Amino acid sequence: MKNRFDRQSFLGANSEILLRSAEVGIIGLGGGGSHIAQQLAYVGVGQFTLIDPQQIEASNLNRMVGTTLKDVRDKTLKIDVADRMICAVNPKVKIEKYAEKWQPRAHLLRKCTVLFGCVDSFSEREQLEILARRYLIPYIDIGMDVYEIDSQYSISGQVILSMPGNLCMRCFGFLNDHVLKEEARKYGAAGGKPQVIWPNGALASTAVGLFIHLITPWQASQCSPCLEYDGNKHSFIPSLRFELIKNQNCPHFDSIDNIGDSFWKRE
Amino acid sequence: MKTTFKITRKLFESIKSDLLRPHAFAHERMGWIRCRVANLSKKHLLILAHDYYPVDDLDYIKTIKAAGMMNSAAIRKALQLALDQRVSIFHVHLHNHAGATGFSMIDREETNKFIPPFWNVRPEMPHGAVVFSKTSIAGRCWYREGKIINVNKLVIVGEPILSVELK
Repeated sequence: MKNRFDRQSFLGANSEILLRSAEVGIIGLGGGGSHIAQQLAYVGVGQFTLIDPQQIEASNLNRMVGTTLKDVRDKTLKIDVADRMICAVNPKVKIEKYAEKWQPRAHLLRKCTVLFGCVDSFSEREQLEILARRYLIPYIDIGMDVYEIDSQYSISGQVILSMPGNLCMRCFGFLNDHVLKEEARKYGAAGGKPQVIWPNGALASTAVGLFIHLITPWQASQCSPCLEYDGNKHSFIPSLRFELIKNQNCPHFDSIDNIGDSFWKRE
Repeated sequence: MKTTFKITRKLFESIKSDLLRPHAFAHERMGWIRCRVANLSKKHLLILAHDYYPVDDLDYIKTIKAAGMMNSAAIRKALQLALDQRVSIFHVHLHNHAGATGFSMIDREETNKFIPPFWNVRPEMPHGAVVFSKTSIAGRCWYREGKIINVNKLVIVGEPILSVELK
């Protein structure tokens, strides 16, 4: 019988072990996170921490892989859909899951090899990046938006790898005080943002590609850590801003106060 | 107790590169890594490397006892780092080969002398020493009075991420 990973053996002799040993945290199991969870199960990731407080609603059926009409009727939790989908691919996977906001469970994310942020708000992205930097964890963020301009719709998005020691989401210009303030000002008035499945899938697949690049040594060349998605042209381009600043140091996480437990005590 | 030492690839490579610089007479260079720590669980300590301070050229002493030896001024400067901020200090030197490495007898004797005084200035933090090889490390951590623990896992965060269980 052939090994299930035969077709991805080019990822490296130890890639199966490396992927099985990897522990991945996925925060947000909706349109983007569900794709990521499914793909990581297929490539052979062995340990997952899944966090999302929400239940399945009818509006999730347009994009969230793994959901069924029955899940809508049963108000199944998103983490349970992801759990079911992952276990259907690989029942030996170790899964921890929490149906609540991620902040009270932040301590459980410290052990992760890589964190995926699939959240809606800029403020949560900022908080997740701060957490990831504190414990030297690579953080991969995905997101998309649909804008209406002159009665035309424009789909854009981003996949960002925030690598400890390197440039961060503020350096890339993705996060700044203005967007955070605007978001805070509009808090509660946002409603459901437009979302569709194919940009979610494209962004999630690219994020998984960056993750594979981190875990397995299958190619030596460096990827751009900031990729901009144009959903109208169905294409990704490396951030031009990154090309301009790639040799600079990140000024936002350079203090030693940004790492470790703030109030560490001996156990 | 499990102890993981985590460092970015950028810092790991820059420390190795600095430690390989020739010195007028010392055959081994050394330095200090400022770290912070975290508890991954009650029995799992995470040491997070932040930055590196090389021992100044003038702070080496000529000796036939070891490939490199520093004077008291080098130790005083490192103690000052621990006094200035709430940090863990780890002494570092390099064994220039690939694969697993370890502390020599003289490494053990010397670190046993100069690491515990860091508790005089920063008692609330663990301190220690690491030996780098080209691809791995060995580490000892003075966790609390009378308790020295070995570092048993190394994680180098970069592309790719390297995770090594240490013997």
